[in-house]
Amino acid sequence: MKTNVLFIISLIVLAASFDTINQLLLKNSINSLGSNINSIKKVIVFIGKLLLIPQVWIGFFFCCLSLGIWLFVLSKADLNFAFCADSMHYIFIALASRFILKEKVGLWRWVGTASIIVGIILLTISNR
Amino acid sequence: MSKKKVTLKILLFLIASDFLETFSQFFFKKTAIPASGLDVKNIPDALIFLNTVFFSPYLWIAFLLVFLTFVLWSTILSKIDLSVAVPIASFSYILVPLVSIIFLHEKVSALDWTGIIFILIGVIFVSISAHKDGAATQ
Repeated sequence: MKTNVLFIISLIVLAASFDTINQLLLKNSINSLGSNINSIKKVIVFIGKLLLIPQVWIGFFFCCLSLGIWLFVLSKADLNFAFCADSMHYIFIALASRFILKEKVGLWRWVGTASIIVGIILLTISNR
Repeated sequence: MSKKKVTLKILLFLIASDFLETFSQFFFKKTAIPASGLDVKNIPDALIFLNTVFFSPYLWIAFLLVFLTFVLWSTILSKIDLSVAVPIASFSYILVPLVSIIFLHEKVSALDWTGIIFILIGVIFVSISAHKDGAATQ
């Protein structure tokens, strides 16, 4: 790889963060609607209501930003490296669940998160 | 709230979704390759970059595959729990490097594979524990 691996990692951090923001906004919007869906008609009504929530569109905006950055990353880095490093979004989602959504995050989840971090560090060292 | 066990049909769906996800990433990569020479330092550069990728047919194949993955996932998750589905689906962390080697002629070293194994174990732990922790709090 020609481009500095730390620069690429920073861009993946950015893409994964934007993706996490999108997930949080979407989760928040869906929670606010309730979940009594048992027919096709209700699915359509549900999607219709979802599209009226501004948060969903802000999320979509972040999703597009994330995709743009992702394509740029892929134009500079190997696919196997970028895809595996992108697993860091699991870490962000664990952190966001704990500190923003105030969900309970157990010990094993932190162990899993640590293992992902070790894996990304190894890939980064290997690809520098 | 435990759902049904993993049937052969669901397992095939999961494997199909692994392949769909892997190939959507493959086509995102194919989209990005013609833009690999572009340097993005300012807004006009960014517009040239976006123009290059937006009109690539590969991008639209990738979008189609992402959409199909989404539909397949929705079906899978209506049948089994997320904590069961994710570990099986994380097979794509092996599949993407394999596809990268075979179709994109990328090199994956022993240290890379070690990192990939750590990531795979981590993803499995994170998703299984989400199930256990959820059960513990209820």
